[in-house]
Order: sequence, then C-alpha cells, then structure tokens
Amino acid sequence: MPELVLAADTGRLTGTRPSRRLRSEGKVPGVVYGMGQDAQSVAVDWPALRKALTTEAGLNALIDLDVDGAHQLSIVKELQRHPVRREVVHVDFLRIDPDVEIQVDVPITLVGEAREVIAENGMVDQTMFSLSVHSRPDAIPSELVADISALTVGDSLRVSDLSLPTGVRTEVEADEAIAIGMVTRSTLESMAEDEAAEALAEAESELGEGGEAAGEADQAEGDATGDDD
Amino acid sequence: MLMPKKVRHRKHHRGRTRGTAKGGTTVTFGEYGIQAVEPGWLTARQIEAARIAMTRHIKRGGKVWINVFPDKPVTEKPAETRMGSGKGNPERWVAVVKPGRILFELSYGDEVVAREAIDRAIQKLPIKARFVEREEAL
Repeated sequence: MPELVLAADTGRLTGTRPSRRLRSEGKVPGVVYGMGQDAQSVAVDWPALRKALTTEAGLNALIDLDVDGAHQLSIVKELQRHPVRREVVHVDFLRIDPDVEIQVDVPITLVGEAREVIAENGMVDQTMFSLSVHSRPDAIPSELVADISALTVGDSLRVSDLSLPTGVRTEVEADEAIAIGMVTRSTLESMAEDEAAEALAEAESELGEGGEAAGEADQAEGDATGDDD
Repeated sequence: MLMPKKVRHRKHHRGRTRGTAKGGTTVTFGEYGIQAVEPGWLTARQIEAARIAMTRHIKRGGKVWINVFPDKPVTEKPAETRMGSGKGNPERWVAVVKPGRILFELSYGDEVVAREAIDRAIQKLPIKARFVEREEAL
C-alpha cells in the first residue's frame, strides 16, 4: 500500500472562531493522537487531504503525516462533516506502528445478482455495510467482496461467508448477517392489493356475463309473448 | 398513523427550533435518504403521506425506513372560542425536525426509480428536503 505524504501545520488556535477562519482559508482543523503520545492540534490543506483519501485504499489510506518536519505514519480515525453542507469540518489522525495490528472498518461490497430473490419480488437487504477487522497497516484490504448470487428469500449471507485476506481477522460474530434475502411488507401489501383488484375484476366480468345472459333470456321471453299476441 | 402509545404530559410548549441536527444526519439503513435542509414540524399525516407516496411508486422489491417519530402533541382551541379558559385540546402529533436530519431512508435496486419515489415523497413534506445517498463523495 503506497504511503501518501500530507503536510500538517501545528500551532493552530483552538476554538470555534479560529477553526472557522481556518476552514475559510481552505484548511481543515484536526488532531493527531495515539501510541501513548500527547494529542496535537493540527491543520491540513483540504485539497491535499481529499487527494489522500480518494485513492484506491479509500478512507483507510496510510498517510505519512509531516508534522513540522517529523514524519509520522497515521491513518484517518474519524471525519466529521457538517450536517447540512456535508463538508469535512474536522479530521482525527491516529498514529500507527507499521508492525502492530490496528482495528479498522473495511467497507463490504455486494457483487452478483440474487436472481432467485428478484424472481420472488424480493430484495437483498444489506444489514452490514462495513466490517471491523484487525490487520497490520500494510495488509488492510480496500474492500471486502461478498457474492449474493446464491442468496434466496429467507436466507442470509453471514460474516463467516466472507473470505478475509491473509493476515486479516475479525472479532465480529461469525453468524452476524451481512445481507438478507427478503420480501418486504410493502411488497406483500402491494401483491395482496393486486390480487384483490384482479379478483374484483373477475367477479365483475362474471357478473356482467351473467347479467347479459339474463337480459337475453328476458328478451327471448318477451319475443315469445309478442308472438302469442 | 404514527403516535405515542402513552405520554407523560398531554400538552407541550411549542418551543423554538435552533441550530442543526446533532444526530441522525447520515443514511444508516438504506441506500438513499431524504434529508431536511430547513427546520420545521412534520405531522403524522404528512409522514404517512410521504411514506405512501414512496411505497406506491417503488411498488415491489424495495424497503422504506421512517427515521422520525411524531412525539410532540399540538393543541388547538375550537373555532369561535373566546380567548382564555386554558390551553386547547391536543389535535395532532408532530415530529420536530432540524436541518440535516435524515427523515426517511429507502433501499431499491434502481437509482432512477428511487430518486423519483423520493421526489414524490418530498412533495408531501412542509419543509425543504433533498435526496441523499449513503456513499458520500469527499
């Protein structure tokens, strides 16, 4: 996994107003902590941070943080976003040792098409979107792929079905569900409505045919009486 | 319609809605969501109307989550009543919404249809809201 160098300035003022000023200058306030050392307030350039986090490794990219000339291997522990504007307002960097296992969340990607589920008007409900794994920093996978092709309604894909790369382990329960093949309540309601509408249409058509037949019979009777007259 | 099973106080103060949502600002269960961009009150009827608009549009093979709950009673005095004689009667239930709050979530295979369903649901709401996705670009 290639390391990305990111310059971090120290000595920023903390608090709301100085942080807002930093953001208006195109920087993101942040903090570096971990490995038993003191936490350090830093500021990083937003374009550089965005570039570092949009590689193949995603948010788990290893970053060589240049804090006033001292290089420190780190990983982004948390990104805080503005609730409405969605821009990154703060970033947490965790110092890491390249030889020590760390715990990270790796995204789970579903591949394939659950044909049997779709055929029964069902859907695949993904209940777990990322898996917490323990791994050495150089072995962190960018994503975990789960194949849902064989999934059926009522069946579920579990953590034990994932194939983790060598050197990667998880402490999440093996029977925890990742994706479930299901027919939702709204689908069942929709199907019931359709069936009821069909039944009603059939009943109406039958009634109409019956009515026409009765009408014809009446006419025949009327003709007969007319003949008599 | 959504309403609490039991409450500690039958009548609430109106209150003020300041600031942005502190939690519930990310899509957690589904793939897409409706995010409020201004504060307001959503009545139980409006929430139900939005849910129905979404489920009727996606028809089959999708799932809808409602992330807000109308737990605030709103009172009204009867028409042509003189002022005074205490607070009015509870008439409806509302959910207090702040900007940034995810109101509904939706899981559906086709993004185009999901967007259409969400647009229809937004039409039923009394506040400005927008379509959001789980995967956020940096």
